[in-house]
Order: sequence, then structure tokens, then C-alpha cells
Amino acid sequence: MTLVLMHLLIDWTSLKPESLFGGQVLERTPAALSLIYLLGMFVLLGLLVSTFLRQVKHPYRFEAGIPSEIRRRLSLTLTNRGLHIWHAVFVILAAATFGFHVYWALVAEDTNEDFQSLAYKDLRQRRTTALTLRGWILDRSGELSKALAYYRVGNKGLLTRTYALDSELSHLFGSELGSPGLERTLFQRKSDPMPESWQALTKIRRYGEDSADVRLTIDRDLQEFVARQLKGKKGSIVVIHPQTGDVLAIYSSPSYSLLEIDSLGRWIELEGNQRDKPLLNRAMREYYVPGSTFKLFTMIAAFRAGKQNDRFTSLPGGYVPFRGSRSITDANRGCEPPYGCTSLDLAQAFEASSNQYFSQMAVALGRDRLKETAKLFGIAAYDTPAETGNMNLISDFWSATDDRVRKGLAVEQSAIVTGKGISAYDLALQGMGQGYAGQMTPFQMALITAAAGNLEGRLMKPRIEFDAKVEPFSQVLSAKQAADIRSIMARVTEGAGGTATSAFAAVRSAGIRTGGKTGTAEKLARAFDLRTGKPLTERKTRRNADGELEEYDAPMMYERTDSWYISIAPLEHPTLAIAVVVEGGGFGGRVAAPIAADIVLKARSLGLLGDRYPAARSAERRGRR
Amino acid sequence: MMKSRPSSHFLILLLAVVLAAVAHYSIYYGALIRGFETSPLVAYRNIGLLFLLALLPIPIAKLMRFRGNWTLYTSAVILFSVGLTVQYRLFTDPEYVLKDRKAEARQLKTQTLQMHHVQQTYSPEKKEMVGLPATVPRPVDLSAQKIRESTETAEQVLTSGRTLIPVFAILCFIGAIAAMKRDPVIAFLQRNGFLVVLLTLVPLLLAAVTSSAGKSLGNMTPWEPSKIPFLVGFSALLSVLYRNLAKTYWGVPRAKDAVPLVFMAALPFVPFFVLKDFGQMMVFSAVYATLFLLAVRRLPQRVVLVGSVLLVVVVLVVGALPLKTQEKVPLLPAVATPVKAILPDRIQQRFHLWLDGFNPPPPETGWWNDDYESYYRQLVRRNPELESLLAANPAQRERINVDAWFDVLAFQPAQATFGLNSGGVGGRGLGLGFVELIPVADSDYIYAALGEELGLLGGMLVTFALIVLVSAGVRTAIDSRDMFSKLCTAGLTAFLGFQALVNIGGITRALPMTGITLPFVSHGGFSLITSFVMLGMLMAFSHRNHVDREIDRGAGEAAR
Repeated sequence: MTLVLMHLLIDWTSLKPESLFGGQVLERTPAALSLIYLLGMFVLLGLLVSTFLRQVKHPYRFEAGIPSEIRRRLSLTLTNRGLHIWHAVFVILAAATFGFHVYWALVAEDTNEDFQSLAYKDLRQRRTTALTLRGWILDRSGELSKALAYYRVGNKGLLTRTYALDSELSHLFGSELGSPGLERTLFQRKSDPMPESWQALTKIRRYGEDSADVRLTIDRDLQEFVARQLKGKKGSIVVIHPQTGDVLAIYSSPSYSLLEIDSLGRWIELEGNQRDKPLLNRAMREYYVPGSTFKLFTMIAAFRAGKQNDRFTSLPGGYVPFRGSRSITDANRGCEPPYGCTSLDLAQAFEASSNQYFSQMAVALGRDRLKETAKLFGIAAYDTPAETGNMNLISDFWSATDDRVRKGLAVEQSAIVTGKGISAYDLALQGMGQGYAGQMTPFQMALITAAAGNLEGRLMKPRIEFDAKVEPFSQVLSAKQAADIRSIMARVTEGAGGTATSAFAAVRSAGIRTGGKTGTAEKLARAFDLRTGKPLTERKTRRNADGELEEYDAPMMYERTDSWYISIAPLEHPTLAIAVVVEGGGFGGRVAAPIAADIVLKARSLGLLGDRYPAARSAERRGRR
Repeated sequence: MMKSRPSSHFLILLLAVVLAAVAHYSIYYGALIRGFETSPLVAYRNIGLLFLLALLPIPIAKLMRFRGNWTLYTSAVILFSVGLTVQYRLFTDPEYVLKDRKAEARQLKTQTLQMHHVQQTYSPEKKEMVGLPATVPRPVDLSAQKIRESTETAEQVLTSGRTLIPVFAILCFIGAIAAMKRDPVIAFLQRNGFLVVLLTLVPLLLAAVTSSAGKSLGNMTPWEPSKIPFLVGFSALLSVLYRNLAKTYWGVPRAKDAVPLVFMAALPFVPFFVLKDFGQMMVFSAVYATLFLLAVRRLPQRVVLVGSVLLVVVVLVVGALPLKTQEKVPLLPAVATPVKAILPDRIQQRFHLWLDGFNPPPPETGWWNDDYESYYRQLVRRNPELESLLAANPAQRERINVDAWFDVLAFQPAQATFGLNSGGVGGRGLGLGFVELIPVADSDYIYAALGEELGLLGGMLVTFALIVLVSAGVRTAIDSRDMFSKLCTAGLTAFLGFQALVNIGGITRALPMTGITLPFVSHGGFSLITSFVMLGMLMAFSHRNHVDREIDRGAGEAAR
């Protein structure tokens, strides 16, 4: 038997193993040889054991002839019994030790949390990513020439990851440090690049077919343009396709470069920059006070409640939700022009951005209706203001091909408060986007806009991978209601009293109808020393636990006026839902709205406005590139 | 079933040589894929050594009239062949061997594989964008690739320690059989037990003077041979004393019977404190307890001596546990603090790595602070602005602590554990894993390298071969006729078995990692020689059993 096996093995080795196993995949040869080695060694051990057992079966017992009562008490017999026990103990210990190997090889991966959380310390991962290159990331056109992340031959002949838009997309792609972005989540899920030997045997490689490439919904040119709009400013822009949920562009400013983040020092510097927070993805993970743009939400809630025809009166002294409460006035301490202090309908109020109207509308709608509408948008509706303190990352919004990708894109959940504990005044403030409504992410505002822009009145699940499914998140409005809302939103850019009429003059003259809403919101923000970048503090006094007055350093705050604009374009068949916020930008109609208008025009030149607006000057575009 | 004759073992061993050749070719080919050549000369040398070991049964049986149990020999050679294979994988990898040009070797490998990937999968258009010639994707032809050739010369290979030490070990092995076969030698050893024990102290003292961090004179462990005199002397003492101990006066044995055993019991703790070597202490005291329990019959005596050995071990172990583990038992930290104070830093580090290895201790911890500080200073030297950045941002200190922990102390054990994990059931395949990432994987951590490239099956192979070796040893001990041979054989088996368990347990985190080698598998100088000598002694005892048996049979027949 041994001879037969030996012949087999010798024949195999003399027959060039790589031609036997190699085939297309080089790794198959060593993998197969290793398996043969293991198998052979076990056969060999089996043979050895069989010789040993044969020997043990006929043990030589010199004491066999001695009567058993004496034999049992012989000291050598006693020692032999001890040896048998020791032998058994040793085998058990060896099996236990091997059991620990089984644990690390198979179980720890799934159950040991410490082990999982530190898996990034495994140098093998770094090696395998360097060896089997990550796929390329392409923009929505899917053209290689427009790749967002690809490889180039770098210094010393190594291929290095290169980014077409480096700082423009760094928040989305994410670096090797910090929380994982698309770069880490998109490619981790692909099958293990370094398989076990038996898996390598069955691996098949097809040539010229790199399935690892990922096509995103991002439009490279629009993304680049959007990023340029926020140069030198702080803020964020989100552009979503309302019909499909495609994220066309998403940018948070200031940003950072993925290439320079390699050094730990630079990372710590970025992380430590409390004033600019360049690592923070403002689009998805920063709360803003949405101001008047939130009136769209209130309007949608009104339509859902059938209250779209209700009229409310604006008063010179403002709206007083209950006796003795503070009054809610309009921006210029009176009533908004052009309608003045009079009874307004929804469309007029939206065009003029009447605080008084929407405050009264919110109170008329009541807590439950607001809460129900919030749920449709994935906005948390808390019972008490205290709950809003816990930040809550959610990811079930996303339509993605993989759970890891979804988690990597997790969004800070926007929130309002609709509990019984809050007063009518608080409720009224939320109706106009102030107070407890001041916890909206730009991304969330873009989603609300997108729902209004959807022809079916649906909120589509946002998606960033082109291969992810197009599916609705919720049915917010009927098609008719959505159309009505869009025509009301059009008055902001087209009506005489519209707050963005002048900003969108160029868009109108290009023949594009759009709808929108401006917003100007005050937010308390920490003050920083302009030169050193350190947070400023001021001395304040407070009562300590013993009731005595003490001085302490309180962070110095100032009132920052954020500039907002949300937009739908083109109106009759929207392909863009835009949310723009510029921190400290001032009046929304003056800063954010022109940016949105430029984006609409740029999108038209890129052919993103649909078939009715062909990319008119595509020749010029090509020339520029 | 095969008969246990030298010829059948010769066949098994020849098969082992062939399989080792297969494994070496696998490693050679795996390296070609990564763009370099592993030295064929070293492979020939390894196969030659194994062939020599396969042939050895014939002259030993014929010329030395050896009649003992060959299972011992064959299982040890199988272990040795596995060891040589994994060592070939490591010692021929430039990234593992070259201390100063590691990064360069790594980069060349990476580049080769990247180019393979690009050539196979990228379309011409993609290749052009990458900056390479736009060729159609096609399979990689290794024969057309440029391979970095091995530069080792025959002279280098033949004169290296990796050739000479195994040859010397084999000679020692033959010498041990020849010597221990003879009655006068055994008789002499048995009579002069205490003298032999004193020999133990020579290498220990030598080591105590020269050692640092459990190793001395570079990476050697010259106290390894002290196992043999310890064992032989202890067996000799015990084979006389166990009878005397049975005579007690009001339950207490005579002082002159008990004192030598107490002295022996203290010996295992010498290497522990002098050499800061925890592993040897565990192995020595386990062997001591084994022999004592085998020989001594009286329950109170068993309890007292073994109990006190266990007590000392338990006190030290509990003292060395990380604070986090101690806090789980009320009052324990308070009790353990004085023990902790006298424990060497190294022991505490090892225990923390064992029980809480994936969580770094706070930087203020005494045994960690020095390493942390030096790591931190190195960072600051590279980024001078780091200090001010950290002052503004203290949370980042934790991150640096984690990095320091995994780059300094936990690097080796963590990479080994990740290796076991990546190996899975069947391993990555010889030459396809990343065993070169584990520092010193050729000696203490060889089991991790094995587990990565051969997986659980490889680990099972080694464990199984070890159990066969130990079983054969136990069988030899059972067949022995006199107490001295019995104890000595059992002790040799226990030494090999326990040392292997402590080593494997250290890597699989069943025990703290201790820096002792895996017998026959690990690369080593003194440890390999000692293991082979112990094997020779075991075989000599097995031979003596056979001779005894023949005499018995002859006597029986004569009587009849």
C-alpha cells in the first residue's frame, strides 16, 4: 500500500505540478501541493499509529504470571497506573490547547468583540489591499475616463491610489484612519482576496473582466462644480435626483485631502481643529437650524392633513400662541411684504415666507400630525427636548448593495420634538423651522425637497451606488398634492414677492422653471480666536453645588446667521433637489440662492435636467476639458 | 496493520521525505509567484537531512543492534520535517531574513503581485490610464517573468548553523543511544543522583550571568541542556527515596529523605526569577509534579509537596494577572499587590497579553510606561508639532497608546493570532500566507506560522504527532522494569510533551506566551540538540526494555 501511494506521489511531482493544477490561477499550484502535503502527512501518521497499535496490542507483561492480589500492590504496577492516568491527562490537555486554536481560527471572528474591533491592526489586510488592488470608483457615466478613484504608477513603480476629485470627495470616500467611508466599505465586502488553499483550488479568474469596479451616482463634473461654490466658505451642498434618489453631488466644506492624511500628525491636526472641523461631514452629520426652509415640511404636513386651504391672519404685533407667551413675529418685526398684515393663504404665505402663518399652521396641525409626517421622512419625533441630546446615527434610509456600505453612509438623524410637555409656543416655533426643529442635517432637507419634487409624491431611498435598487422610502404625498406644492414653491422664484426671484433671474431667462425656498437662521455657535483658532471663553458666575457663587470659564458663543436654500428643478419634471447651507452666510436669498441657481445652470449644461433641456453647450464643455 | 520493524519505519520515513519535497516545491513555487526565488540549495539541504534521518534506522538497527521502539523516532522525525518545511518558508523569504532591507523586499513583492493583477484583469484602456503599456489582458506566464534569484552559495548553506546544528544534534542523538544503552552508565547515574543534580546548576548559573530577557548570548538558551541532569538526578534520587518515604515516624518522613526533594522542588523557580523565564518554570514544575506523583504513594506526602509547588505557582500566577482580571474577585487586588511588586515586568506584560491582549493598559502602568514613552518620543521626533497638538486634543493620546501597544509589545502575539485566524481550516497554502509578518516566527512562534499556511489541519498534524510521540514514551515507561528507568523515561516524555503544550498554548492564548520552543519543530540550537539527546535517551531505555524482556523470556524457557 505504501508503495502504491509512493508511486502516485512521485509521479505527480515529476509531472510538473503547475501544469496539473495551475491553469489560469497561479496560486492553485502551491495550494494543491499544500493540500497533498497535509493529506499525505495524515496518511503517514495513520501508518505510524497502526504500527504502534500492533505493538501495543501484544504488550509484554513480565508480571503476568504473578497472582493478581500481589500484582496489584507491586509498586511498579501502581506507577504504571499513574502513567496511564498521566497519559490520559496529557491527551486531554493537548486537545484543549488545540481547541484554543480552533477558537481563534473559526470562532473569534464572529464572537470576540475586542478581536473584531482591532482587526484593522492585522497587517495582512493592508498587504492584501495593496496586492489585489481595489476596484476603481467611477462616476455615474460609468466611463473610465471619468473615474473618481483609480490607480497610477507612482514612485518606485508601485501603483498608488489616485483621486480625480481629492478633497471634493474625501468625506464620502473616507481615509484609512477614522470612521470608514466608501473606500473601506465598498471593497471589503468583495470575496476574500486571499482565500484558503482549498478555496484557491476552485477559484476561477476571467481575463479582462474586473468586476470590482463600482459605479456611483455622483456626477463628477457637478461634484467638482458644487465643491467650487463653497470655496472659502463653511457649509454644505446636497443634490439629489428626486425621481430615483440618486445622490448627484454631496459636499461639505471645509474638506481635507485624502493624500495628505497618511501621516498621523496631520490627522491629529485635522481632528484637533475645533474651529473648522474639516473631518466633519456637515452634509450628513451636522445639525443646523433650517429656518424658513423648514416651512416646506409644515406645508407638506398641511397638505397631508387637508389643511392646504386654511387661511391665517398676520398681525403687526405678531402671533401669540397662548395668553402670556412671547409673540412670534416676522423677520422685519412686522408682517412680510408684499402682502403685509392681512389674511394669507398657504401659497402667499410660502412666497412671502410668513413666520406668523406657518406658526399658526403648526399649532393648528398639532403634535400628532407633525409627528406622523416626520416619521415619513425618517425624522425622529421625540417626546421631550432632553432626548434630542443623544446623537443617533441611522442608515436604513439608504438603498445600498451591502449593509456595510449602508452603515458607512450612516446619517445623523434629524429630530423635532412633539411631546405633550412642550408648549404651543414651542410647537409654533418648530412650524417655521426654529426652536426644537433646529436639528436638521442638510441631507435631510434635501430629502424633504426631493419628496416634494417626486412626481408620485414619494420619498425615494437615496442611493449612491449605481447598482443599488431604486425603491421608495415612503409615500409622502399624492401626485396631485406634490404638483400643487411644486407650483407653490415656484412662486418663490417667480412671484413678485418671492424671496429668490432676483437670484433666479438668469435661470428663468434660460427657460428653466424652478421652485425653492430661502432660509435665514440664527444659530448659537462657539466663538474662536481668529488668529490662533482656539475657542474663546468668557468669565461667568454660577452657583455651585453648595449654593455659593463661583466664577468659571464659559465657552463664548455668538449668533451665527446661516444662509439656506432648497430648490427643485426643473419644475415640470424635477431631476434636481438641492439643499444649500452656508454657515454665517447671512440672508438666504442673497448667498445660498445664487449658488443653487448656478448649480441648476451648470446641471443644464451637463445635461442633467432631462431630455427637455439637452446639454446645450456640450461642444464648449468638451473644449474646456 | 504494518509491523513495527525498522523496515516499515524506513518506508514511512521515506514517504515523509517525499512529502517534505512536495512541500518545499510548494514554497518554491509560491515564492516565484511573488517574484523571487527561494534558495534551491537550502531545499536540497533540508531534503538531504531528512533523507539522512530516514536512512538512520538501518545502521542503528544493524550496527548498534538496536531493538527498541521505532515509533518514538519516526514521530519525532515527522515533527522535525514539518519544522524544517516551515523554516524553509521563513528563512528563504528576503522580507523575513533581511533586517535592514525589509521594506524594500516587501515593496518588490507587492509590485510583482500588483503587476500580475493589472496584467490579468485590466483592459488596455485601463492600463493606459494607469500609465502602463496598453496590452490585452492575459494570464501571467511565470517563465517569462523576471525572477529575483537567490544569492545563497553552496558554501554558505553548508557552513551555516542551520546545517551544522541538526547534524551535530543527530550525532548527539546517536551518542545518547550508545551511552544510555550500557548498563554501567545507567548504574553510575543511578548511584550518583545528587551529583548529577548539581550539574543542573552549571548551565543555570552561566545563564544567570549572561542572560537578559530570557535569552542569552544573542538568541540562545544555553540552560536548555540542564533539563537532562535535572531529570536524571531527580529520577535517581526518587527511585531510592520513594521507598524510604514510605517509612514515617508519626506520619513524618525522615529529614534526610525529605530534604533532597524539597531542594529539587525549589529548582524550577530558579530559572523563573533568575532568567525571568516563566515557561521553563511551568515545564520544570509540571515534570517535577508528574514524577513525584508517579513515585510517591503516601497521600499526605503527595498533597504536601505537590500542593506547595502548586501554591507557589498559583500565588505567582494570580499576582501576575492584569488588574482588570483581578478586580473581578473582591479583595484580590489588595492581596495581590505585594506579589505584583516583586514580579518582573516581563511576566506582567506576558500575563496582560495573555488575558487582555487586545486592550492596551493605560500609559501610566509601570511595566508599560517605558515602552510607551520611547514610542511616543519617536513619534514626536518625526512630528515635532505633535506635542502641542496632543495638548489641545487629549483624546488622541488614547489612539497613540493603542498604536504603541500594537506596534511594540502586542505586535508579535497579535500578528500571530491574526495569522491563526487567516489560516482557517486548511490554511492559506505553503508560500501563500503572510507568515513573514510575525517576528521570530521560526522559533517560538513557529506554530503560528504553521497555523497560517497549513491551518487547523496543520495544527492537528503537529498535535497528533506529538500525542503519538508521548504515547510511545508512556508505553516505554510502562514497559520499564526498574523504577529509575520508569521515572527517567516518564520524565523525558513529560519534558517533551509539556514543553510542546506550553509553547502551543502560548500561541493559541491558552497560556501566557513564554518564549520556549516547540521540540523538534522550532528552529533552535541548544533546544534542538537537547530534544534530540532526550529522544536518544528515550530510545535507549526502550532498547533496554527489549533486552530485559529477551532475558526474561530466555530465563522462563530455561526454567521450563
